[in-house]
Amino acid sequence: MDKEIFNIENIFYDQTSTTQDEAFKSIGQFVAEKGYSNSADDFYKGLKAREVESTTGFKDGIAIPHSNDDSVIKPGLFLIKFSNGIEWNALDKKPIKVAFVLSIPKNGSTEHLKLLSKIARKLMDDEFRTSILENDDKNILSDAIDQI
Amino acid sequence: MAKKIVAVTACAAGIAHTYMAAEAIEKAAKEMGYEVKVETDGAMGAENKLTDEDIENADLAIIAADIKIDPIRFTGKKLLIASSNDAINDGKALIEKAEKEATVFGKKGSKVGKIQIGNNKEKTTFFTHVMSGISYMIPMVIAAGLILTIANLYAFQKDDLGRIVKWGFDTKTSMGMLMSNLFQVGQVGFKLMIPLFAGFVAMSIADKPAMAPAMIGAYIANDAELLHAKAGGGFIAALLVAFIVGYFVKLLKKIKWPKIFQPIVPIMIIPVIATLFISLVVFYVIGQPIAAGMDALYSWLNWVNSHSSSAPIILGAIIGAMMGFDLGGPVNKTALIFGTAVFTDTMAKYGPMHANFVPQTASQAAISVAPLGVWLATIIWKKKFSKDEKTAASAALGMGLVGVTEGAIPFVAADPIRMIIANVAGSAVAGGLVAATGCKFYGGIGSPLGTFIGYIEQPIPFITWILCVSAGIAVTALIIGLTRSDAVIEAAKNVEE
Repeated sequence: MDKEIFNIENIFYDQTSTTQDEAFKSIGQFVAEKGYSNSADDFYKGLKAREVESTTGFKDGIAIPHSNDDSVIKPGLFLIKFSNGIEWNALDKKPIKVAFVLSIPKNGSTEHLKLLSKIARKLMDDEFRTSILENDDKNILSDAIDQI
Repeated sequence: MAKKIVAVTACAAGIAHTYMAAEAIEKAAKEMGYEVKVETDGAMGAENKLTDEDIENADLAIIAADIKIDPIRFTGKKLLIASSNDAINDGKALIEKAEKEATVFGKKGSKVGKIQIGNNKEKTTFFTHVMSGISYMIPMVIAAGLILTIANLYAFQKDDLGRIVKWGFDTKTSMGMLMSNLFQVGQVGFKLMIPLFAGFVAMSIADKPAMAPAMIGAYIANDAELLHAKAGGGFIAALLVAFIVGYFVKLLKKIKWPKIFQPIVPIMIIPVIATLFISLVVFYVIGQPIAAGMDALYSWLNWVNSHSSSAPIILGAIIGAMMGFDLGGPVNKTALIFGTAVFTDTMAKYGPMHANFVPQTASQAAISVAPLGVWLATIIWKKKFSKDEKTAASAALGMGLVGVTEGAIPFVAADPIRMIIANVAGSAVAGGLVAATGCKFYGGIGSPLGTFIGYIEQPIPFITWILCVSAGIAVTALIIGLTRSDAVIEAAKNVEE
C-alpha cells in the first residue's frame, strides 16, 4: 500500500463514540488532523450524506464510510476501531466495531483511486476481515493492510 | 459448457461499493460454477468493460448499482437490476434471485427494477428509423453522385460561337462513350438509392421481413414508366412506402400464425403479403395521384406563365420552389420539364429575342441551391452535424457545383419538414431573383459555376447570376442552421455509433 494513502498513523482507536453521528464527527476530526481534508466539518457532512443514500455498514461489524466532498485534499485510507459497538444499520444488522474510512478526492489520479478500490475488494475476503477484527496491535493491523 | 453471467456494478462515489459488489458477484458466480465477467463503472470509468460479444454469449445479466445504469445494451437478455448492497450482502442469493426472477429485457413499456424502458427511445423513433436508412444510402449517393458529376462536366460542349449550350455525349469517340457509360452508372446509383433507402428504413422498423416489400414498393413508386407518370415519386414516395411497409409488417408479426406456418412466416408469408399489399398501394393510392398531380401542376404552370408575363419574378419563384421541394421527385421534374418545354417551344416559334426564358432560367438557378445550401450549413454550424453527414455534405458540394440536386437527399430524408422548407425558400429566392433581373439561361451547368461553364445572358456579365444563386444558397443554409433539431442530431450520432 502506498504510504501516502495509508500508514500506521492512520489507525485510530475511538474509545468514546457511541452513536454513528459521534463516530462520524470523530472520524472527520481525525482525517482533517492527518491532513487529508481541510475541513473536519465538511468531511463529517460528506460521510453523513453518503450514508443517507445507502448504508455503508457491511457485515461482521465492519463498515466502509467514505466521502468525496470538496474538502478532501488527497486519497486516504483510515482504520478506526471502536470500543463501543455502533448502531450502523449494517447489512447483517450487527453493531459496527471497525470502520475503513476512505477519503476520495474529486479529481484523484487513477492510480490512487485504484488502490482505494482494492481495499473495497479486499473487504470481501473473509480471512482479511477476521484478521482485522481479531487484532488490536497497530503493527499487525498495518501489516495486514500493507499487503493489499 | 459453463453458463455465463455478465454484470455491471456502480455506486455514487465509485470507489467502495462498486468494487465490493463486483468482488461479491465474481466470487459467488465462480462458486456456483458460472463463468463470470463484471464491469465496474466506478470513479475510474468503466473497467473490465463488457463487449457486445460478452453480452451476446451471456445466459444471465445483472446490474448491481445505486446510480442509473443504462440497461439498453442488455436488450434481449435475462436481466436483473439490484442495488450494490444486494450483491455485497449475499452474492449467491442475488444470483439465485436472478436465475429465478430475471426477465428478458427490452419489451417496450416494461419495467425492470426502478428503470422504465423505452422513454427516450420512443420520441426519436421516426428519426432513428430514417437515419438508419440514410446511413446506408449516403455511400451510394456519394459514389453515384461523384461519378455522375465527372460525366456531367464532360457533357457540356461549345457551339459554333463558342458558347457552352450543348449538353450531350459524342458516343462516336471513345472518351464520349466512356463518359456516357459513366453517366449511366451515376443514374443507376440514383435509381437504386431510393429502394435501398426505403428497404433499410423499413428494416429498422420491422426487421428483415420488411426489407423486400419496401425495396420493391419503393422501386415501383420511383419508376415513371411503371406509374404511367412523367416522373417517379422520388424519396418522399420512398419514405411513405418505407413507413407503410414497416408498420404493416409489424402488424403482420402480431398475428398468431398457426404453429406449422411459423418457420416460414418471416421468410415467405410476411414478405409475400406485404409486397402484394404495398405494390397495390403504390399503384392505386400513391401512383395515380402522382401522375394526376403532375398533370395538374403542369397545367397550372401554364396558366401562371400566361398570366405573369409582367411579373416574371412570380413564375421564377414558383419554379424555383418546385425545384427545391423534392429534389428530383415529381414536383421537381415537372418544373424542369416545363422549363425546357417552354424554352424550346417559344424559341422555335419566336426566336431568341422573344423566347420565354423565365422557367428554364429559374429551374437552373434553383437546381444547385439545396445541395450547396446543405453544404454551407455544415460549414457554418459544424457542431450540429455528425461526421458522416459532413462527409456527405462535401460530396453534396461537388454535386451541387455541377447542378446535381440529389446530393441533398440524405439530409432532406432525415428531417423532411424543416429541410423542405429551407430548400423551397432558398430555391424560390434564387429562381425569383434570376427571373426578376432578366437573366437568360441558354445552356450549361445549373449552379453558380454556370456563369463560366455555360452561356447565360445577364445584366452584369458573370456577376448577376452568381449573386442571385448565392442569395438562394445563403437563405437555405440559414434556415437549416437555425431550425436544426436536436432529435435529428442525436439520431444521426446514435446511428453512427
